[in-house]
Amino acid sequence: MVTKSRLKMALAHEKGVDFKKLHQKKVAKQASKKKQKKSGGAAEDSEGEEWEDDEEEVKGGAPIDDDEDDDDSEDDDEEERDVAAYLDDSASSDSEVEMEEKIARVRQPKQSALKQKPSKKAAAAVEEDDEDDDEEDPEEDIALEDLEDLPDEDKEDLVPHQRLTINNTTALEAALKRISIATDKSVPFKSHMSLSSLEPTADNIPDVMDDLKRELAFYGQALEHVKQARSLLKAENVPFSRPNDYFAEMVKDDGQMEKVKARLVEEASAKKASAEARKLRDLKKFGKQVQVNKLQERQKAKKETLDKIKTLKRKRAENSGDLGTHEADLFDVGVEEELGKHDSKKRGASRDGDRPNNKRMKKDQKYGFGGKKRHSKSGDAISSGDLSGFSQKGMKQGTKGKPPKTARLGKSRRNAGKR
Amino acid sequence: MGGAYKSLNGSEKADSASANGARKQKSRVLIVPSRGVTYRHRHFINDVSSMLPHGRKDVKFDSKSKLYQLCELAEMSNCNNLLYFEARKGQDLYMWLSRVPNGPTVKMHCQNLHTMEELHFVGNCLKGSRPVLSFDAAFDKEPHLKVIKQLFLQTFGVPEGARKSKPFIDHVMAFTIADGKIWLRVYQINETEKAKAGEDGETEKTYSKNRTKETDINLVEIGPRAVFTIIMMQEGSFGGPIIYENKEFISPNQVRSDLRRQQAGKHNARSEQFVERLAKKGDLGLRTHGGKKMPKDALDSRELFA
Repeated sequence: MVTKSRLKMALAHEKGVDFKKLHQKKVAKQASKKKQKKSGGAAEDSEGEEWEDDEEEVKGGAPIDDDEDDDDSEDDDEEERDVAAYLDDSASSDSEVEMEEKIARVRQPKQSALKQKPSKKAAAAVEEDDEDDDEEDPEEDIALEDLEDLPDEDKEDLVPHQRLTINNTTALEAALKRISIATDKSVPFKSHMSLSSLEPTADNIPDVMDDLKRELAFYGQALEHVKQARSLLKAENVPFSRPNDYFAEMVKDDGQMEKVKARLVEEASAKKASAEARKLRDLKKFGKQVQVNKLQERQKAKKETLDKIKTLKRKRAENSGDLGTHEADLFDVGVEEELGKHDSKKRGASRDGDRPNNKRMKKDQKYGFGGKKRHSKSGDAISSGDLSGFSQKGMKQGTKGKPPKTARLGKSRRNAGKR
Repeated sequence: MGGAYKSLNGSEKADSASANGARKQKSRVLIVPSRGVTYRHRHFINDVSSMLPHGRKDVKFDSKSKLYQLCELAEMSNCNNLLYFEARKGQDLYMWLSRVPNGPTVKMHCQNLHTMEELHFVGNCLKGSRPVLSFDAAFDKEPHLKVIKQLFLQTFGVPEGARKSKPFIDHVMAFTIADGKIWLRVYQINETEKAKAGEDGETEKTYSKNRTKETDINLVEIGPRAVFTIIMMQEGSFGGPIIYENKEFISPNQVRSDLRRQQAGKHNARSEQFVERLAKKGDLGLRTHGGKKMPKDALDSRELFA
């Protein structure tokens, strides 16, 4: 009869609902309705009777007619609403969610009957495809779609055993009507906050496998809608952007964001390091040349200074008679001072003693100085998560295909070398 | 049980709410994973539920056949939407979306799941802020997609004034149909100051705009990512007739078995060749045992010098 969940039954019991009485009431109501219909119109009358018949059939487990199903359930609905509504009210009156009224179908038997429906419907659609314009003809659909893209030789002995397309448009539309909440301009945008684009986004995606273009299309769709949504929400005076001093729990917690940051930093530093390494490699390539150039330059500079000194000396020798000792003194003193300065600098550095000698420093660097020595080489979470040494290319090449660089010579040639 | 207590001491609040002309959309979502989800599925489900402040996560459901029990579960926890993640074979994830008492129900296959954590995206948003839902135009083209759009709207859209929701809007959920599948992306809405233009006249303008807080919008992805393939739709909630079935959907089992068969095909072809070769050799009389013996030729050296 009225199949309700156990909880609801309990609740009904608590409230003192008498199902028998309700049922009687319902029967009486039905009778009165029938009378009304009879007096009202002949067309409606027949429908009502059909409805009655249907229900009986359903109870008997016989298949029901498909087309009238929707009307039936609605009628059903009206009849049993007093029970259902009562129960539903009591169940969800104080709660946050308003559950929609349960369409109190006679659940069990109907389901068993309806299970046969898809196949039956398919058959019906094949037989009377002119009747239902919305419904696709499954048989024809397959034949067309699959035969087109098959080569000719396969077409001959083909048994189309694909599953049938079910696309019950009327039922879908009924379901849509039942559940839909308005998203058009009659309701404020803030109530639903959904937008749909005018052009299908798939048009902007030439190839679904092309990650970059695909993601760009998705991004474009979202961005356009966000812009629309912002203007709509601002028009409705809904706070949109979060003020800087508003702190609340985020979807990703701080630990997670920290990880993301660490990863970003690591990526950036890895990029930098690789760039530097490349630079060094390039330098090494031209290093020899650079070194030669530098040596040559130094040689050149030395030669030039020597030449200058030579010319100075020559000039001095020439002018020694005229100018006397004055300039000569100056010149000598200048040289000596320079030398003395250099010497004192060197001596001072060695005397300071705040830095150990180079050998010590090198050794400290090599063997370590201070700090914990143990476990420095054992792996940890970071090192095991570090995949920087891993390259897909290397994996794809495989290890076995790599020949040794210096292949061993053949026996005869080796022996020839001995002689 | 709280719901039951409340309803026992019920008041007439619901009636007053329904009496209002435009009543608020109130809905709650029950999120149920099935038994046998993998760690990736679990993380994905957690990510989804972290985005739904009006959602309630239930324990893993341990039944593959009696799915109608889920309806009662949802009714008991006072939810009118149901999001059921069904794992099969420890690898495939199916998502069921349903309106609870009357349906409809959609079953989808989830592929390419990527959780928030593994994606390492920089984006982040408030837990429980209401998303802007962005739908592709294709959702308005066909009736079954229209229904799915409504279901997405009511499940993933946070209703206005939900209890744990935050007052600002800082992320967008995008549903796009490409290649016959539904692609889910979640982005953070990032507002930046408008970049100043190079020309003199323009700088002045942008400056004045900055005063009025005119900002540029860009998006930063948050995650998770997923691709859904529609399998079928039922009229009722986990029951009733099938009102839509996707012919293009190929079950992952089928895909796997095809792959295996393809690999096995190589061996089969080779062994067939071997048998054929033997038969051919036998026919030519080249085999020592079995096969056809060739008639002795008169010019054979063994005949000539016998």
